[in-house]
Amino acid sequence: MTYPAIQVLDLTVRFGDFVAIDRLTFGADYERVRGVIGPNGAGKTTLLDVITGKSKPESGDVLLDGQFNLADMSEAERALAGIGRKFQKPSVFEALTVAENLDLALRLYPKSLRRDIVAPMRRKREPIDRVLEQIGLAGSRNAVAGALSHGEKQWLEIGMVLIMNPKVLLLDEPVAGLSDAETERTAELVKALRSPERSIVIVEHDMNFVERVADQVTVLHEGRTLFDGSMADARKDPRVIDVYIGR
Amino acid sequence: MTARETLVGGIILALIAIALPVFGLGLAPGAAAPIYLVNATGQIMCFALLAMSVDLMWGGAGVLSLGHGLYFALGGYLIAMHLLRTAFADTGVLPDFLQFMGQQRFPEWWAPFDSSVFTLAIVVLAPALVAGLFGYVSFRSRVNGVYLSIITQALTYTAMLMMFRNNTGFGGNNGMTGFQKFAGLKIGGVECAVLLATVSAVAALAALVLGRAMLATRYGRLLAAIRDDEPRLRFLGYETLWIKLSAWCLSAVVAAFAGALYVPQVGIINPSLLDPSLSLEIAIWVAVGGRGGLLGATIGAILINGAKFWLAASAPTAWPFVLSGLVLLIALVLPNGLLDALGWRRRVRLSALSGLLPREAR
Repeated sequence: MTYPAIQVLDLTVRFGDFVAIDRLTFGADYERVRGVIGPNGAGKTTLLDVITGKSKPESGDVLLDGQFNLADMSEAERALAGIGRKFQKPSVFEALTVAENLDLALRLYPKSLRRDIVAPMRRKREPIDRVLEQIGLAGSRNAVAGALSHGEKQWLEIGMVLIMNPKVLLLDEPVAGLSDAETERTAELVKALRSPERSIVIVEHDMNFVERVADQVTVLHEGRTLFDGSMADARKDPRVIDVYIGR
Repeated sequence: MTARETLVGGIILALIAIALPVFGLGLAPGAAAPIYLVNATGQIMCFALLAMSVDLMWGGAGVLSLGHGLYFALGGYLIAMHLLRTAFADTGVLPDFLQFMGQQRFPEWWAPFDSSVFTLAIVVLAPALVAGLFGYVSFRSRVNGVYLSIITQALTYTAMLMMFRNNTGFGGNNGMTGFQKFAGLKIGGVECAVLLATVSAVAALAALVLGRAMLATRYGRLLAAIRDDEPRLRFLGYETLWIKLSAWCLSAVVAAFAGALYVPQVGIINPSLLDPSLSLEIAIWVAVGGRGGLLGATIGAILINGAKFWLAASAPTAWPFVLSGLVLLIALVLPNGLLDALGWRRRVRLSALSGLLPREAR
């Protein structure tokens, strides 16, 4: 029996009186790209926060490969277990160069910080070059990350998560604030990141982008699943039209 | 990080380290410096070391300590205990503060301080332990930014109140004084002043060169990553607690070492070193010189304390105004400090208060 790469079972997250996620069950499979859409406050980012360990759920489980319960793991442990996340606001280390950002993201010795710190640069050269090529920043390898454009920062951060070779790649609004051409390039990039060993989850408001890259979409509303299926069907679903797309 | 900064800083400190014995002892014909100048320079070198210890965390990892006087004073008290024990071995006269307390002899546990090796070891271990404990609790609870700064200051203030009490056993308000010899040389004599000042300058030189080399490694880049975006680093799989904690302990040890060199040069230690105003001033030295990379901290400490020594003699009442004016000027004109004026740095925008304000919640 094969399990989904990441599974969320009967999850409830509460912030004071506000129920951000209400008994949600959600899963994402290997080799697939799943879009998560929904109005503001639907619980999309909260879902990613719970999966990555940033927020603690009131009840429910998060399972990796159907068997590893992530509940008691720290953010760092979950990252090493194979959960990679790109944040909504591009989060790169601005004072470091593009190559140095990727260098820190690539862990040769996940179990030993000390060995990781002294690992020679040349052993990381090849994977860094490969990712630079993938994200289209090969020409900016020695540029300071703080000087990159908004789109380039987004790609660099995707590259940083990618170089960790995660089982589950979570992308929070990867095309927010990008131009049409940049959105196009990001779509190509995401398509190229598909792999039998990886599941990709994208939280996004841009429905055309989601339609292009995602196999399936989940529409969240008030912390619950409103719809699960293809983007084309979602556009026709009366409930989805009602709460999100609009008539 | 430019190699030029290392070179310039290294040359300045090396020249000071060479000039101190040459002029202090009159080794070259016509070269002579009065002992007070040697002494003042030595003290300033200790302040440079102290400023670097704060900059390692502030410029390096975005963690602003407003309480490093704690570690500086800790090193000072520990060396003072050693100096009092050796003075007692020489003269057989019990220090004043013990006599006032009606004691007939030193507390038993002071005995190991006879040994200079033990003293050196404890000057390293004690601050590492205190900083390790404080840092572990604070960083583990993810206390950041201005909250952390306030707690560091509160801790130092608490230590000051504790040391003010006579019953704490370290001389209370009056502190500890009456040192006789350091490394066999009479304290107050020219040779001793030159030795202490030169060792301080060499220590500052070593801290600058080694510290900058360390910041240029992957460890240094991890610290910079914590400064720029600590959550991002965590989600890359790093337990940032250990990275921060190790740097914090190292910083505390450097500050304590500076204190241990400072106290024999001023001949006294009392709780005034634990006054928050000293700890705040350190942050000013670093901010004026320029955060990050240790050179700005060094230059800031030298310039401000040099001016302070000079004005304290010629116009003592003017000093607070000069210092405040300088801070305002720097904040308005060169938010990243004097080094910024030289334009050697990578062009990165650091907000004027980065590390001081809590990071925006994501």
